[in-house]
Amino acid sequence: MTTELLSYSIIPLLAALAIPFFGRRSFKLTEILSNVTLLAGLGNLMFIIFNPSNKLHNYETFSFDGFTILMLFTIYLVALSIVFFSTFFKVGDFNKNAFYPLIMISVSAMSSMVLSVDFFSLYIFMEALAVTSFALIACEEKKSGIEAAIKYLLLTFPASALILIGLAIMLFANGSLYFDISMQNASPAVFSALAFIVLGFAIKAGLFPFHFWTPDAYQGAPATVSAYLAGIVTKVSGMYAIIKICTLLKVMGPASFKISSPLMLIGVATLIFGSIAALAQKDFKRMLAFSSISQMGYIVAGAATLNPIGILGAILHLFNHATFKTSLFLNSAAIEKSAGTTNMKKLSGLEKNMPVTSWTSVIAIFSTAGLPPLSGFWSKLLIILALWVAAPKPYAILALIFSIVTLAYFMLLQKNVFFGKPKEELKEVKEASVYMLIPVIVMCLIIVVSGIFFPFVFEFFEKTL
Amino acid sequence: MTLTSTFSLDWLFAALIIFIGAYCMVLTRNLIKQLIGLEIISKGVMIAIISSGAMSGNTNLAQAIIITVILVEAVIVATGLALLVKGYRLNENIDVKKLDNLRG
Repeated sequence: MTTELLSYSIIPLLAALAIPFFGRRSFKLTEILSNVTLLAGLGNLMFIIFNPSNKLHNYETFSFDGFTILMLFTIYLVALSIVFFSTFFKVGDFNKNAFYPLIMISVSAMSSMVLSVDFFSLYIFMEALAVTSFALIACEEKKSGIEAAIKYLLLTFPASALILIGLAIMLFANGSLYFDISMQNASPAVFSALAFIVLGFAIKAGLFPFHFWTPDAYQGAPATVSAYLAGIVTKVSGMYAIIKICTLLKVMGPASFKISSPLMLIGVATLIFGSIAALAQKDFKRMLAFSSISQMGYIVAGAATLNPIGILGAILHLFNHATFKTSLFLNSAAIEKSAGTTNMKKLSGLEKNMPVTSWTSVIAIFSTAGLPPLSGFWSKLLIILALWVAAPKPYAILALIFSIVTLAYFMLLQKNVFFGKPKEELKEVKEASVYMLIPVIVMCLIIVVSGIFFPFVFEFFEKTL
Repeated sequence: MTLTSTFSLDWLFAALIIFIGAYCMVLTRNLIKQLIGLEIISKGVMIAIISSGAMSGNTNLAQAIIITVILVEAVIVATGLALLVKGYRLNENIDVKKLDNLRG
């Protein structure tokens, strides 16, 4: 563990222990406590990242890499917006005394996962994260939530078994489970261990042949929980480890392409499949889930190039995906609350009544599709450049084409839900409350600002990665 | 690195147990039996870990890992059984094939 950042995983855990006791007095206290904990963590992280003296010294005082600090920042940002949103999102009958501690424990598990330096602690915290996710998905008294949680359990447990087999092989081939394995002369057994581990995390991340649980879990979960899952949980529990292993493979010489080239194929297949399946969906949340699968494809394809530019693109796309997918899922939650459904056939013309929701969706959609001034453009550009340089040329061309398909299905969504004539029964729909709009607007500001000031972001990663 | 005969036997045994668990999961429609299949798979994995620890002379590390894995597994199985009970209360059956309400 990187010990100096350990407080980011311990303090949420303590808050999770404290919340149920305060919750007996009043719900208000639990809400305030969870918001304040996450806000304090986020403020601390922002102080580390934006401190001018660090920039002055070329980030030489950093004992951790930029990837870790960015992932911590993303975890706290998404968790804070979800918690803030659900403070004002009073739908469903779930127990808030259970909901907030579960979010806190999963923040703690994710931070520990990001800070861990060996495969075994990565596995342990991934399991802790999985358990809290089952509970979060099923925290509403509804059939769909239970069904989604059981599917998530049954389809991701084999992933843990695969990861453990990988650990067993790693143990006898390498002798230790630390990340800094003697990479220069790694034996074939080490590669097979890494292949098992990557396969396990690919199931956890919901990549193409193993994606069955993802749309069901996102659709069945309560609205805010599905934003949390799609925004950060499945990304950290699956994708973080894959990118980490790709950074390890980078220094292992030409033999590592035996793992990375199938991984790249999986990535490209995922982005193609996700886009095509998203075109056919009728439900808002389910379309977002398939779009999320497709964006995971971009990230894996970028990381599997084992090229510094591709890995940087994958890391940035992970961050950008967290911002735009969280804002889209939170918008779908606001629509579910106001209009009562997320079925796209029953929705139309909400733009007149919900203008802010509509325009924040437009910004998030443009960033997902990769339109120039926004942050999604830069990360996608880096990924496609890396694919062009370090992969077969058709991969880069396919990635480019399916970025246009992304725009196509999202325009379909925007047209069905927000544009056009409002139906009779939707005339009375009201805009979400100001407090529910704040997280979405903040996310959109981050998308725009980090897109416009991209050279600074790039400089930060150039120096710290 | 040459594989000793007991080591390869251990791994054959582990693979057999994992296969039995997977077979159990594929064959049955009962959710509890599926959970039992998952348990059998993870037992096979544990045998793999302990035998590779013994193989590389790293038994202490392997034992520590096994104990932690047992703990993790108990937590997961408890959560899974809780989900099954909650699902049984709401759906009144534990059939995997009936879990098909979520469609786009």
